[in-house]
Amino acid sequence: MIATWYAVVSFMLIAYVILDGRNFGAGILHWFVAKTPDERRQVIAAMGPLWSWHEVWLVGFGGSLVAVFPRLMASAFSGYYLALILILWCLILRGISLEVGGHIDDRMWQGLWDFVFVFSNFLLAVLFGAAAGNVARGVPLDAEGNFSMPFFTNFGVRGHVGLLDWYTVSVAVFTVSLLAAHGATYLVLKTEGPVQERSARCARYLWSAVVPLFVLISIESLYVRPGVPAQALHNPVCGIAALATLVSAVMLISGLASRREMRAFLASNFLIAGLLTTGGAAIFPIMLHSTLAPENSLSAYAIAANHTALVLASVWWPVGFALAIAYFIFISRRYAGKVSVKRDTQGFY
Amino acid sequence: MNPGLSDPAFWSRFQFGFTLVYHYLFPQLTMGLAWFLVYWKWRALKTGDEKYNEAVRFWAKIFGINFAVGVVTGIPMEFQFGTNWAGFTRYAGGVIGQTLAMEGMFAFFLESAFVGALIWGEKRLGQRYHFLAAVGVALGSWLSGFFILVTNAFMQHPVGYRVESDGSLGIDNLRAYLLNPWALIQFAHNQSAALVTGSFVVAAVGAFYSLRGIHRTEAALYLRAGTLIGLLASLLVAFPSGDQQAKMIARHQPVTLAAMEGKFVGGTNAGVAAIGQPNVAARRLDNPIEIPGALSFLANGTFHSYVHGLNEYPADTWPDNIELLYYSFHVMITLGSIFILLMAYAKFQDWRGRLQSTTWLLWILMLAFPFPYIANTLGWVTAELGRQPWLAYGLFRTREGYSKVLSNGDTIFTLIGFTGLYFVLGVLFLYLVGRQISLGPGEDAIALDVEKDQELIGTSDQEQFV
Repeated sequence: MIATWYAVVSFMLIAYVILDGRNFGAGILHWFVAKTPDERRQVIAAMGPLWSWHEVWLVGFGGSLVAVFPRLMASAFSGYYLALILILWCLILRGISLEVGGHIDDRMWQGLWDFVFVFSNFLLAVLFGAAAGNVARGVPLDAEGNFSMPFFTNFGVRGHVGLLDWYTVSVAVFTVSLLAAHGATYLVLKTEGPVQERSARCARYLWSAVVPLFVLISIESLYVRPGVPAQALHNPVCGIAALATLVSAVMLISGLASRREMRAFLASNFLIAGLLTTGGAAIFPIMLHSTLAPENSLSAYAIAANHTALVLASVWWPVGFALAIAYFIFISRRYAGKVSVKRDTQGFY
Repeated sequence: MNPGLSDPAFWSRFQFGFTLVYHYLFPQLTMGLAWFLVYWKWRALKTGDEKYNEAVRFWAKIFGINFAVGVVTGIPMEFQFGTNWAGFTRYAGGVIGQTLAMEGMFAFFLESAFVGALIWGEKRLGQRYHFLAAVGVALGSWLSGFFILVTNAFMQHPVGYRVESDGSLGIDNLRAYLLNPWALIQFAHNQSAALVTGSFVVAAVGAFYSLRGIHRTEAALYLRAGTLIGLLASLLVAFPSGDQQAKMIARHQPVTLAAMEGKFVGGTNAGVAAIGQPNVAARRLDNPIEIPGALSFLANGTFHSYVHGLNEYPADTWPDNIELLYYSFHVMITLGSIFILLMAYAKFQDWRGRLQSTTWLLWILMLAFPFPYIANTLGWVTAELGRQPWLAYGLFRTREGYSKVLSNGDTIFTLIGFTGLYFVLGVLFLYLVGRQISLGPGEDAIALDVEKDQELIGTSDQEQFV
């Protein structure tokens, strides 16, 4: 039961990363793939009607986390305080820049919001990447399951660590490249003309950069959490997810090479999902590792809500999820195909 | 009750209160406006009259700006349960997590899946789906209101829980938790109040156009719909929902009721103060002018019933800001009563066909729109201050609930950030909504800009972009 709920909560987070990750990525590349105001509207229109639908998966994840692992939310959210609030501020700026940029057809107005859009998406990718690095590395949990972390301490990975150190920064760099590559692959699917050309070029470069960075953070991870790989070898989910990642990588390469846009984009989604699943399964059941003392770590079994809560959630959650899938199908069908700046706007122009 | 500004609980409360009050300025309009959009879109489908579609397009833009600000200021609310109120989440997360998760799964998914379609998608979706999108958004926004009110009702009147071996709370009976009588009454009260905000805004825009003598058809449409829904909703806020809410407080939080009325000494035939300032140090209401028996009647349904006074309870169970609680409640009640009178008269004039020619009334309708926001905010201030000093009433105190790991330096830093960011958001919001209203329905904002540009420059400057 608890393992299943661990999987469900992780799934919600992974869904958020692949859904909103495309927006982060497209946002990071906004200035590079779109040069004229019209091209920039094309990029915005590729995410415009759907950004809140994507962002809401984060809220779904947060809600599920409180329902199933309330003590994890209490420890992690208060411990990651500054980073989380920064993420919230960036989400505010990102949403606003998408929404208000199209209200006034003025070069200065749109230039301003394009800047806010690029800046907030970039920072979001960095912050989420650093957060992922923190989960992998562990945090200074005390015996009561509390921790509090400044932005940085001595940039080391043991003991009283800060949010940023050499390991989490390299995970952040990896995340930025990965999500930018994901976003580029998405833009290839959704746009036409020069934006698509440039996105395709970006996708090729970025995916090539992802590979060495991945090797690098894998080696670093071995040093930072030496116990985890042995544990992962005994977990069949890890093996399957790693295999899925590999297959997705092959499909991605073939999709990019043969210009099969949909294949490339789907492969990009599965690749990210596979990577995150491998990582999530490898650390199970420890949801938050303590860098101070291993016995302080928060295990899924120790911090779950009561049995009744899990049983009840097992009844209503699938219903909610089925509805979400139905909306997803509706949206995917309605918004299939290339965006058109004329059609996919708020009606302001 | 640590009164000092060095109290970390104070700063987390201040931040939560500030971000919540600010956030709720936006959903109260979207929840109210959503059903106007559904209604107009339905009329457009039925009659094929383009004026209804114009109304939907115009209000969908205003809805969209509100919705966006509502979404981005709403996510910090959920996160703050963990960031600033870790003690409470650890204690009660096993219960309230149920509805926080349901809100995401059942309400936000529905709402956000269709809001893009409502605002961006008319051309892509076609008329029928556009109507469905409006229904989806309206249902989603009201469902989200329901789930969050269940969560709040649990804090006001905890039901359906059990105490676990470690002292924290876990869910025991989901049905009892979801159908908490407090939640149902509060939902009726709050949603009617959201409709009041929506209808006052719609009527105000109608009055604005009518006074300027522009957009006559639209002005008539907005005034008619706004005053009708405004009257009905103002009545519903007072009766039965507000009345039931008062009786519920009298039954389950008698000390809160006493504080709301500044009543230190209990008694029969208890009155409602029309005028008077609570003097907590002296434990009395200064220069009171009371309507005798009114409070007994509101609380218990008879004029002679006994109403408890604050002196009957230990001071450490009193709400910790009795003065603000008292004023919030009284100003809310006063405003609510004025809303009924104003809308009743406006509807009467509309029925006689004289609303558009009664200039002074149009002026009042136009200038009245901020007051439902104030009344809604004060209602929430009453509910939340009245709940003090408890986070979960009678079970868990507010001073135990904040995140102990945070320093005041952390919280004050983020509070400053939220203040600055929300100020910018507010300016932006007012500018864009004001601009939209002054452009008016049926006008294409961007097209106007382009025309203006071309008039100024003389030719299209397209080639410069390529």
